[in-house]
Amino acid sequence: MNAQPVIVRPASARPAPPAAVAAPERSGCPVAHAPASAAPDAVLPEAATHHGYAPFAMTNPFPSYAALRENEPVMFNAEIGYFVVSRYDDVKAVFDNWQVFSSENAQAPVRARGAAATKIMNDGGFTAYSGLSARIPPEHTRMRAIVQKEFTPRRYKKLEPTIRENTARLLRQMLAHPDARGDFLTDVAVDIPTITILGLLGVGPEMVSTYKKWSDSRAAMTWGDLSDEEQIPHAHNLVDYWTECLRLVSNAHEQLAAGTNGDNLVFDLVQAQSTGSEISDHEIASVCYSLLFAGHETTTTLISNTIRELLAHPAQWQQLIDDPSGIPAAIDETLRFSPSIVGWRRKALVDTQIGGVAIAAGSNILLLMGSANRDPGTFEQPETFDINRVNARNHLSFGFGIHYCLGNMLAKMQDKIVVEETLKAAPGLRLIDAAAIVFADNLSFRAPTSVPVTWGDQK
Amino acid sequence: MPSVTYISASGSETAVAGFAGDSVMETAVRNGVPGIVAECGGSLSCATCHVFVCADSDFAAMLELEDDMLDGTAIDREANSRLSCQLKLGDADIRVTTPETQV
Repeated sequence: MNAQPVIVRPASARPAPPAAVAAPERSGCPVAHAPASAAPDAVLPEAATHHGYAPFAMTNPFPSYAALRENEPVMFNAEIGYFVVSRYDDVKAVFDNWQVFSSENAQAPVRARGAAATKIMNDGGFTAYSGLSARIPPEHTRMRAIVQKEFTPRRYKKLEPTIRENTARLLRQMLAHPDARGDFLTDVAVDIPTITILGLLGVGPEMVSTYKKWSDSRAAMTWGDLSDEEQIPHAHNLVDYWTECLRLVSNAHEQLAAGTNGDNLVFDLVQAQSTGSEISDHEIASVCYSLLFAGHETTTTLISNTIRELLAHPAQWQQLIDDPSGIPAAIDETLRFSPSIVGWRRKALVDTQIGGVAIAAGSNILLLMGSANRDPGTFEQPETFDINRVNARNHLSFGFGIHYCLGNMLAKMQDKIVVEETLKAAPGLRLIDAAAIVFADNLSFRAPTSVPVTWGDQK
Repeated sequence: MPSVTYISASGSETAVAGFAGDSVMETAVRNGVPGIVAECGGSLSCATCHVFVCADSDFAAMLELEDDMLDGTAIDREANSRLSCQLKLGDADIRVTTPETQV
């Protein structure tokens, strides 16, 4: 993915539920009011609780999605100030209509930057902007055409042997744990896409932990809910991160001047610029800033979710052991059933409507792909994980149209390699306690916090 | 209105009326023609609208990006492979063959 509008919100900072509304006080009120009629009272709690939709709760949002689709498919949520869109046809139509629904808010910070962080970032020369996801045509069209050349199968199919070696090595390390227990997330899923994207950008694997730290800061600063004080260390990290992106670009210019072949995406973009492609150094650095964050987080989640869902459905895991040709379909079904990003933002540029609901110019919109993917109008028995489903690929987890996930094929290729190698190396893998797996609070990202597995003897 | 005929891998034919300027992919999707998935909606990002064109068709030559994306099709590309989101209809009737699978 090019970018994820992560809204990280610590559990402790979440707003209190609207208890006063959910449980209206009926006695002792000092204000005299007319006898309440039954009808508004019966309706009020359901509407006030947004059909159970809690924007940041990710462990099991699916019952609320079903209620939204059924009762209020386009709902204004005052907590976040967004129209929440939950039906498949509406989500797809908004994605497709980029002329009316702009992506310019896709990277909008949830909380204003504090004075101290602002000073640190201004002093540090931080001027990063969206790589592509929040840019709009014609600028987006121009840049995407140039960057997209670097994300074709021709380029990344060359990476397959290295990704396979890395996967086999990480699996060997995990399976050597003496207690026969591991965390598939941290033991395998984190490193695979991170090494790959750093490699594509010409950064060595020794930098994985540094980039992970910067990525975490980016998620917190851009889409988080931090106090002014909490922002300070992250602000320093973002200055370092952006400085590194600028260094990658100047390094590529030096290589080009010296006649050295850089053999990485930054070098290719600088070279393209030198032969007439319209892309500035600042834009190339912005693409780096996006990819070095976005090129791994969602793929880590996809790998974790594929293994997690398959192990939670042992008959389907066995089906793939018997016939690995079903792996791509299993990945599509994982993307449908448990997408890495469940909600994505757009902004209405003119007065319009979605699903018959009037939307004023300037309104913010949250498209729930996690809900669209379970719309019974599009998918039969949508709440069932079924790798033999024929139309799983119609999911909207990569978006649709001009901003469609640039890295979709690279993500799926990496996931496929991991599943193939895991089926071979650890066919007896099992989840330790599927029901205990939780997902971190977030507006957009739905990522498990761990995927505990074992391969020991059955008890 | 040009007529577009889609020939499946097994040989069955589906003919629909198209509009000049639309793509072969759009025309298929709008008419529910099987054999073309077009997951990304025409942004040259998914390689799931792969078709084989006739030798005498006069579509514009492919650009480098389409050429690179064709390396990622589910059924291996051949000399007459194209991504149908890039094929614009003119006034002439056309025929394309869809691969056995796109995914």
